[in-house]
Amino acid sequence: MNADAPAISRQPKTPIWLANLVDKYTWLVVILVALFVLTFAYGMITAPNFLTWFNFKTIIRDAALVGIMAIGLTFVTLSGNFFLLSMKETAALAIVAFATAMSAGYGFEISFLFTMGVAVVAGALQGILIGLGGNPIVVTLGAAGLFFGIASWWSDNLVISFRRPHGAEWLGSGSFMGLPNITVAFILIAIVAELVLRYSTFGRQVYLIGSNRAAGKATGHENFSMAIKTCIIASACSAFVAIAFSAQVSSAHVNYFSSSFGSSGDMTILVIATVMVAGNSIMGGFGSSLRSSLGAIFISTVDNMMVLHGFNSGPRVLAVGLMIVFSIIVFALVRRGSRVQE
Amino acid sequence: MSNSSNISFVSKARLWVTNNPDLAFAILLAICVYGYFAFSNELFATHRTTYAIMERFAVLGLVGLALTLCIIAGEIDLSIGSNAALAAVIVVRFTDSLGAINAALIAIAISTLVGLIQGYFIAYLRIRAIVLTVGTLMLLRGVSLFAAEEKTVMLTDFTIPDFISTKMFMYFSPASLLVIAVFVAVALFMQFTRYGREIYAVGGARKEALASGIDLKRPMMVVFSISGFCAGLGGCIIGLRSGTAQALGLQYLLLAGTVAAFIGGVSILGGRGGVIGAAIGTLTVNFLNTGLVFNVTPAFMVQLYLGVLLMVVIVFQTGSQMFDTYQRRQQILGDVDLVRGELLSKKRESPI
Repeated sequence: MNADAPAISRQPKTPIWLANLVDKYTWLVVILVALFVLTFAYGMITAPNFLTWFNFKTIIRDAALVGIMAIGLTFVTLSGNFFLLSMKETAALAIVAFATAMSAGYGFEISFLFTMGVAVVAGALQGILIGLGGNPIVVTLGAAGLFFGIASWWSDNLVISFRRPHGAEWLGSGSFMGLPNITVAFILIAIVAELVLRYSTFGRQVYLIGSNRAAGKATGHENFSMAIKTCIIASACSAFVAIAFSAQVSSAHVNYFSSSFGSSGDMTILVIATVMVAGNSIMGGFGSSLRSSLGAIFISTVDNMMVLHGFNSGPRVLAVGLMIVFSIIVFALVRRGSRVQE
Repeated sequence: MSNSSNISFVSKARLWVTNNPDLAFAILLAICVYGYFAFSNELFATHRTTYAIMERFAVLGLVGLALTLCIIAGEIDLSIGSNAALAAVIVVRFTDSLGAINAALIAIAISTLVGLIQGYFIAYLRIRAIVLTVGTLMLLRGVSLFAAEEKTVMLTDFTIPDFISTKMFMYFSPASLLVIAVFVAVALFMQFTRYGREIYAVGGARKEALASGIDLKRPMMVVFSISGFCAGLGGCIIGLRSGTAQALGLQYLLLAGTVAAFIGGVSILGGRGGVIGAAIGTLTVNFLNTGLVFNVTPAFMVQLYLGVLLMVVIVFQTGSQMFDTYQRRQQILGDVDLVRGELLSKKRESPI
């Protein structure tokens, strides 16, 4: 959506632009997008205190956690391996690992490395199964149950907390130049991910395998290693979010990322929603991590707007759900018949 | 005489096993799981436990059936938990004012309609079902939060929950009898009607099926409306039996149903498996669930076991796929060698 809105306003203001748009897309898409932009603008103007710098910072901060996970998932999606249904369970495993290590008295650095190690193992396990030819949805559904069970068993389903001067406050509640550190981390990760995807060999391989797996195989880039690498990236991003969240609240529980986290439903679905609302092709090969970051900010903006208007959680989840379905339909119609779609 | 009939029975059984390896494996697994719990706990193999297992079967069986059909058609319906939760919320909320039957009919109609619309859009937009159903998962959650007004809805009159779990014929209740009837109907539908065979065709070889003139819309709409119907009926049974419903609940159904479907012998590539497999797979999952409860296992461990089970099944399936490809490759190489050998010998025989 974010990508489409400026494209419309950039057209010259003659009746021809409308005709061109309708030619290129269809009436349905144009009307839907126009309606959406109007609603969005109306909500933006009428919401109290929406257009302030402070609110803008709040929006970005809300988007940060989901955004980082969405950037990680974008790698998996771009490489043509659909999406992982185990994002929040990986995060639950990581948060338990981190809090256990912290409460045992190891410093922040060792706990961080330990958690990342756990996440890499979790990601590699899924990646191997996916790379061997297992369906990503089913594999990660099973892995989700497995990780959640392990995390609950490990923490005995209790809240693990660690004392305040623990050396991780800077990540949880510190700030840098007026921005919370987690926001800074989000921006940095977004920039690095975009650069890696756009300019590095690895990034181009991700696009190659995602857009044409047969060509990738013929040129010696198997999906096996790619699935492992991308799953590890996604898991590591989940683990990073878990660490940041745990550092913020100085405790951990397996259910932190389950239902009623943030605005809408659970974390996994919210992350997948972010990737899809941003218009990345689920079949792989088309999209970018910048899109995902903007998608996270966009969802957070809509959510923020609805909170300012005083809506309950029901309508907010409904709105996010409508946005996903709407964007799926619009992107499918726009790409109808092109190779990107199927 | 008796000896010969015995031999023919054994050979028949062997033939059946070679023809249905998936189903045979599912039955073997079910017997093993049941046997393990029956021997490790003397309370397990009793009439009461069987009744409890059938009660669980009433809900999980429907979800397993729905997911089996979806996977046969080569798609997967992720929104099934949300759909069931929506039906549960609607039925519990409106039972007091409209009566249980009307409320259940409305809930099931809405769920089926949701499934139908999903199927239509999946076929019309030519997108993968996972893409759309992730969206509807969230959307339906929002709708059910909206319908429940963000609260846990409750029944005030508990005669209906009592009626639903009355014991009949020793092992059954009205709910489980209804579910068994649904199973029989769907099995007949899948086996003997053109629409049912179309579903298999679309799943097993989609390009060929489309090329031979099947309209993708029809099987997709049929599959997803059956899936919506099953989710709705399952949600109604859960809601009416417990008397409460939560908008964000019932998400565990997806994992359990998928495990049941895969144990029942569906292949992720589509076109394989059947209703009997779904029933056996669900029963296996129920044996496991109930047995673990008997052995005092915390709820999250059940999820862990289910996850491990699903991973193991996936590893087996992927392994057998890889083995098939390997064998085919070996055969091609062998054929090539054979032809080359003939050519070489001809060359040697012929004078230069």
